[in-house]
Parts: sequence; structure tokens; C-alpha cells
Amino acid sequence: MVYNNILIFLSGTLLITTVILVIKREFSEWIQAYKYQTIVLSIITGVIGYITNNWEIYLAAITTFSLKVVIVPKILVKVTEKINYEFKNETKPYISIRMSLIVSTILVALSYFLTQQIQLGEDVIARSFLPVSISLLLIGLLVMIGRKIALNQIVGLLILENGLFLFTLSLTHGISLIIEIGIFIDILVGIVISSILIHRIGYTFDNIDDIDQNRESIEYTEEDD
Amino acid sequence: MPIETSASVSGVLIGIIQFLVILVLAPLLTGIMRKIKAITQKRTGSSIFQTYFDIHKLMRKDEVISEESSWIFRFSPWIIFSSTLVVASFIPIFVVYSPFGLGGDIILIIGLFGVSRFFLMLAGLDVSSAFGGIGVSREMMISSLIEPALFLVLFIVAVTYGATNIDTIVSHEVESSILISASLLFSFFGFFIIVMAETGKIPFDNPATHLELTMVHEAMVLEFSGKSLALIELSQSIKQMLLMSLLINLFIPWGLSTSFSIAEMIVGLLVFVLKVISLGMLIAYIETKVAKWRLFRIPDLIFLSLASGLMGIIFLFI
Repeated sequence: MVYNNILIFLSGTLLITTVILVIKREFSEWIQAYKYQTIVLSIITGVIGYITNNWEIYLAAITTFSLKVVIVPKILVKVTEKINYEFKNETKPYISIRMSLIVSTILVALSYFLTQQIQLGEDVIARSFLPVSISLLLIGLLVMIGRKIALNQIVGLLILENGLFLFTLSLTHGISLIIEIGIFIDILVGIVISSILIHRIGYTFDNIDDIDQNRESIEYTEEDD
Repeated sequence: MPIETSASVSGVLIGIIQFLVILVLAPLLTGIMRKIKAITQKRTGSSIFQTYFDIHKLMRKDEVISEESSWIFRFSPWIIFSSTLVVASFIPIFVVYSPFGLGGDIILIIGLFGVSRFFLMLAGLDVSSAFGGIGVSREMMISSLIEPALFLVLFIVAVTYGATNIDTIVSHEVESSILISASLLFSFFGFFIIVMAETGKIPFDNPATHLELTMVHEAMVLEFSGKSLALIELSQSIKQMLLMSLLINLFIPWGLSTSFSIAEMIVGLLVFVLKVISLGMLIAYIETKVAKWRLFRIPDLIFLSLASGLMGIIFLFI
């Protein structure tokens, strides 16, 4: 029962860091917030490893930390060094930041409501982390839809990926390490490819919005954010 | 349970001592926070007792009152000061007891802060200077957004401990562990943002500046001088102290004395001072680290605290 409280506290901390990640508009800011979220995630992974007494999960925690807190942010910062500041700062998202905050709380409520219907029995880990992982998935999708600038849509992908990682971990209590490493390498390659792609798009077209801004500029002068 | 001896002489005496501790230490806290901020910005900064000197100097100076102003302008510093003092008598500092604890309701405290803010805004409008108008409209925008978030965050605490009376909440809290409910974590996070907003810290407001683009609080008190300004500055420091001690005693109550024995109370006071100073250091550090946010981005931060309160409510029901 003591575990139960600690696990719920950890899931609360993870949700708070996710919400902080949602309000960040600027590239360097959300990279920082993503680091905090991933630190919490790797702590959670370590705790799950301690409870299930499985050394593979400890390794997964260390890999999560080194890959997502150190390597991925470094690569992203390195690749996007030359991109103009205006393509890194989210000024006019499709869904405003305030709206997406409120919607994400509704999504959290929804995921808790949905997972209450599932009979999870005495499984403490699944009961505390499954709803959080589902809400992370939904929030990641929301952020990806809501952002206009391609560089900032990566944050949605990263939140979603963290959610998926927690989802598998909470339901299976640690899949085989080979699969885990394979997933990690997939992420790394995905990040590298997408950032190089964004770099090339920005280099070729001088613009990485997903809509040409000139065409829409008349529309946007109306709304005042 | 609240301590039984609340009606006795020693109870009243300790209540008065707590009240005086707030009154005396509040300007010191402001001074310490300014000093820490200066040190983190690699400046020398003024002495930590500078706030006392400022208030003393202002007390001796003559007042200049605009001809356009009415009685509201002359009365409002007193109303602001007295409503802040009333709140000061409700909040427990180092003992789980406050002299008028029976009346110390969370809703009443929010209301009294509301009264003082309302009269500050009226006084800002009363002199009909352009700066006052700017400051008041900004303050109104921020405070109208803060209030629902503040209610939500404090009601989570109230529901968790089953009371809206601060005395009862704090005494329940000292007995139970902080791990009682995860929604307190969300409540803590939301309340921390609100404390930053209410005391005018950097992402929201910069009290050290006199640039009209960024002023919120300063623009409202621009017309005050002499004793009125001293009163307003003092009540601002007291308000900051009160909000920080509310934050400390609601969420991190360890070391709070539960009985009237002298040794325990001295320990309680020392722990309280330590906690307040470390909280002040944290806030000053955040202030150095973060830039002032654009006025229209401030609602984002307040919505963050609102969202955190809503998530806390979700966690109450699982």
C-alpha cells in the first residue's frame, strides 16, 4: 500500500511536467521541459524496476536517461542551430496554448475514466501508470495537431513516444531488453531523420511552416493573441 | 484537533507573538529576497534591512495629494493595511494555533485579499492619471484570472482535510503525512504559481522597474507618497509573507510546534524562518532565471495553475 501512494505521486509529477511541456512555445524552452519530463519518466522506470525486481528495467531506465535526456536534445539543438528564430517560436498555433491546457486536463479526465472500466485487479503498477500513459498519448496527439511550426510538432511526437514507453512498461512490467533497445534505436534514427529533413526543408524553402504564411497573412492579422 | 487551551492567557499571548512575528519579519523577508536576487545577478545589492530604512524614511516625509483625488485615495492605504493585518491574525506561523483561528476561514482570507486589492485599484483610478488606469486594467485582468484558480487550488486542500478553517486544516495536516493524497501535489504547484503572481514576481510583474510597458503594481501606487506609500509598501511585504507562510504551512508543515512548550516553539520558529528563507531563495532564483513575460502571455501561466487544480480534482476521485 505504501508503494501505491508513491506511484500515484510519481504519476502526478509526470502529469505536471507534461503540462509544463504543453505551455512552452519556444524551441529551446520545450527542449528543457522535455528533459525534465524524461527525468521523471526514467525515475518511474527505475521504481518499476525496483518493485518488479527486474534488472532489465534498470537498464531501460539508464538507457532512457542517457538517450532522451542527453543525446536526443543535443542532436536536436545541433541540427537546428542554423534555422532562423522565427521558425522556432510558436506565435500563432492552431489551438491556442490556453485552450490546449484545458483540453489536456479533459483528456486526462477521459483517460482516467476509460481505464476505470478495465479490470486490472491487484496490479498496482498498471492501475497507477496506465491512465497516465494513455493521457500522455492523447496530449501528445493534441500538441502535434495544435502546433503550426514543423519543428515544434516534434514535441508532440516526443510526448507521444514517452507515453508509449510508459504504456508498454505499465502493462507488461518490462519487455525483453532486445526489443527495448530496438525501440530506442528506432527513436534515435527517427529524430535524426526528421531533424535533417526539417533542416533540408528550411534550407530549400526558407520556411518550415506547414502552410505558406504569405497566403494566410490577411486572415491572421485579425486575431490578436 | 486544535489545541484546547485556545481561550487561555498564554494562548492569546502566543497569538499576539505570532502576529508580531509576521509584522516585524515581513520587511526583512523582502530585503533578503532582494539581496539574494542581487547576488544571483552578480550585483552587491543593498542591505537586507533597507526595507525598514525606506519605510522609516517615508514615515517622516510629507504627503503630496492630487487635487483631483477624493476621499477614497486618502482612505485606501488604511483599508489595505488593516485588511492585510486582519489576515495576519488568522494564519498560524510556528504553532498550530492562531488567536482568531475560529474565524480564520480560507474563503474569508481570499475575500480580505480581494478587499485590499479592490481598494488599491480604486485608489489607482481615483487620481485619474494615465498610469493608474493602465496599472488598474492590467491588475484587474490578472486578478480576475487568479481568483478562480486560487479557489480551486485551496478547495482541493479543504476537501482533502475536510475543513475550510485554516487552523483545523493545519492541525490535521501535522498529524497526517504529506503522502495522503496526490492531488496536494497539484495544489502545491498551482498555489506556487499563484503566490508568484500575487506578490508580483518576475514572469508576471517586475516591481523594481519604472518602465510603463511592464509596470502593473507600480503603476497603481505611483501617485502615493509619504505615509500612504509606507503603508502600502509595508502591507505588500506583509501580504508576501502571509502568502508564503500559507504555502509553507499548508503543504510543507514539518517542524510546526503542536504544543505550547517553549522549546518546541523555538524550534518551530527556527524551522519556519529556515523554510521561508529557502522558499524566498527559490523564488529569487526563478526570478533571475526567467524573463518577464509579455502581458498577453500571462494568462497562459495562470491557466497552467488552473489546469493543475483541475487535475488535482481528478486525482481526488481516483
